[in-house]
Amino acid sequence: MRPEVTLAIDTSAAHCAAALLFRGREVEAFEEMATGQAERLMPMVEALLAGQGLGWPDVTLLAVGTGPGNFTGVRIAVAAARGLALGLGVPLVGVTSLQALRFGHEGALACLDARRGAVYVQGEGAAALAEWEELSGFSPAFTVGYRADDLALRFGGTVLPTPSLVLNIARVAAAGQGGAPAPFYLRGADALPPSDPPPVIL
Amino acid sequence: MVLTLLGIESSCDDSAAAVVRSDRAVLSSVVEGQAALHAPFGGVVPEIAARAHAEKLDGCVARALAEAGVGLADLDAVAVTSGPGLIGGVLSGVMLARGIAAATGLPLVGVNHLAGHALTPRLTDGLEFPYLMLLVSGGHCQFLMVSGPGEFRRLGGTIDDAPGEAFDKVAKLLALPQPGGPPLEAEALKGDAKRFALPRPLLDRPGCDMSFSGLKTAVLRARDALIAEHGGLRRQDRADLCASFQAAVAAVLAEKTRRALAESEAPVLAVAGGVAANSVIRAALQGVCEKAGVGFTAPPLRLCTDNAAMIAWAGIEKLQAGLVDPADLTARPRWPLDAMAAPMIGSGKKGAKA
Ligand SMILES: Nc1ncnc2c1ncn2[C@@H]1O[C@H](COP(=O)(O)OP(=O)(O)O)[C@@H](O)[C@H]1O
Repeated sequence: MRPEVTLAIDTSAAHCAAALLFRGREVEAFEEMATGQAERLMPMVEALLAGQGLGWPDVTLLAVGTGPGNFTGVRIAVAAARGLALGLGVPLVGVTSLQALRFGHEGALACLDARRGAVYVQGEGAAALAEWEELSGFSPAFTVGYRADDLALRFGGTVLPTPSLVLNIARVAAAGQGGAPAPFYLRGADALPPSDPPPVIL
Repeated sequence: MVLTLLGIESSCDDSAAAVVRSDRAVLSSVVEGQAALHAPFGGVVPEIAARAHAEKLDGCVARALAEAGVGLADLDAVAVTSGPGLIGGVLSGVMLARGIAAATGLPLVGVNHLAGHALTPRLTDGLEFPYLMLLVSGGHCQFLMVSGPGEFRRLGGTIDDAPGEAFDKVAKLLALPQPGGPPLEAEALKGDAKRFALPRPLLDRPGCDMSFSGLKTAVLRARDALIAEHGGLRRQDRADLCASFQAAVAAVLAEKTRRALAESEAPVLAVAGGVAANSVIRAALQGVCEKAGVGFTAPPLRLCTDNAAMIAWAGIEKLQAGLVDPADLTARPRWPLDAMAAPMIGSGKKGAKA
């Protein structure tokens, strides 16, 4: 049997990241960048694989970060991962950033900056988009991610150090806990119906 | 050697994949439209389009391969639209293609969407260079002299809306469904094209540039006058407005085509884009060609509206001509075919559709 090699990629925020899990080893590549992930992602993954003496055909499981985050960024990695899955003929799973932040810590309240005074949060229940000021009803054992200190002050719990998102995406996938490889937006497309109504036809 | 390419297209509101051979066989052409998703908004919403492409495009590729009866191992390369168009959709296509290429080792060819349209008559009719191409769709309107797989000279184009966009907006003003071209044409059949004297924009100016947004405004004014008079829009008035509008578009396209043919001395006119389906416009263009003694061809609609077979074909032409450039894989919203021409003109003012 081929050894399991899990490859995770993530471009859901201002970064380009990839991670590999194989034979008990965990390696990652991470670069901060606001733009240019579309060009950088594949060469970065190829270098990461080559650095471990691996190539594309060695990959047995693909994982992709599905957000929530930057809409375009999320789609860059999701589209690339879907192409890789088609080309390699291996399974692909999606892992949300909130799932990745909470990995290994049942009872954690995970939080990401959603801009405009809002946050993406996930505790025991489903993930949600909420106003920071209006968060309520949590009693987490841990807090992790954006403003984890403030969250712990408000709701209690131990503050966890922010983990590597992309490594945790790989770990969630390798643990068989991934989901659909589809963008996880949590925010609508912001489209408005046309304002001028059609005329009355006589 | 016969080449077999996979083509991927996602620059506007159609997710498409196709498998095409260099002997001009279209083995498959899958197009999944998004009209229903955008209908409530009266136009293509870029973020909604991008979301749909990201969900559907890989499924289109799988279907195109299955329908063609080929595997990735049977391909010689992958061609993908890398612009111009709505950047979210273009990026989804380019990244999907990059993933497939990395996994399989297949070469990648970045294709200009407009080159795909412009080279289609060679796929469908085996047309020889040179020829004049009139691209008239929902997002584009331009005259291109096509002299080689990478040789395009733009003679003129719209300075504002594309004709398909004008058909769609006018249809909306007249309470007709979207996309507006077909229902507007059907209404026009019952109408009097001479009833309303609508403007023929830019006909008084030399050259091949066109304008359609003023025409739309003129229709709006005529409509509002009718509504003020009758308390609503009467069916016959609407049919007459449709016929008058369509006649104006046809007249502008015909006269500018006459000039473009004269200027370019092209032996053939090829028409592409959804608006080419309009029989009044088509007849007007055919008439111009007959008078000028030049050939006329219009590829079948499924290959001259947005599709991926044309992208695969343009990829084949680029490969065969040695024109493949890795820099062409960078996704971009704007990408004029004719590097010499002034930017902005040729695609609608907001790019490929608003
Ligand atoms: N019979 C017709 N008459 C006029 N316009 C038409 C007709 N059929 C389709 N169209 C127009 O063609 C456009 C769609 O063509 P297409 O080539 O798919 O363009 P795009 O992808 O740029 O929107 C729409 O704007 C539609 O209204």
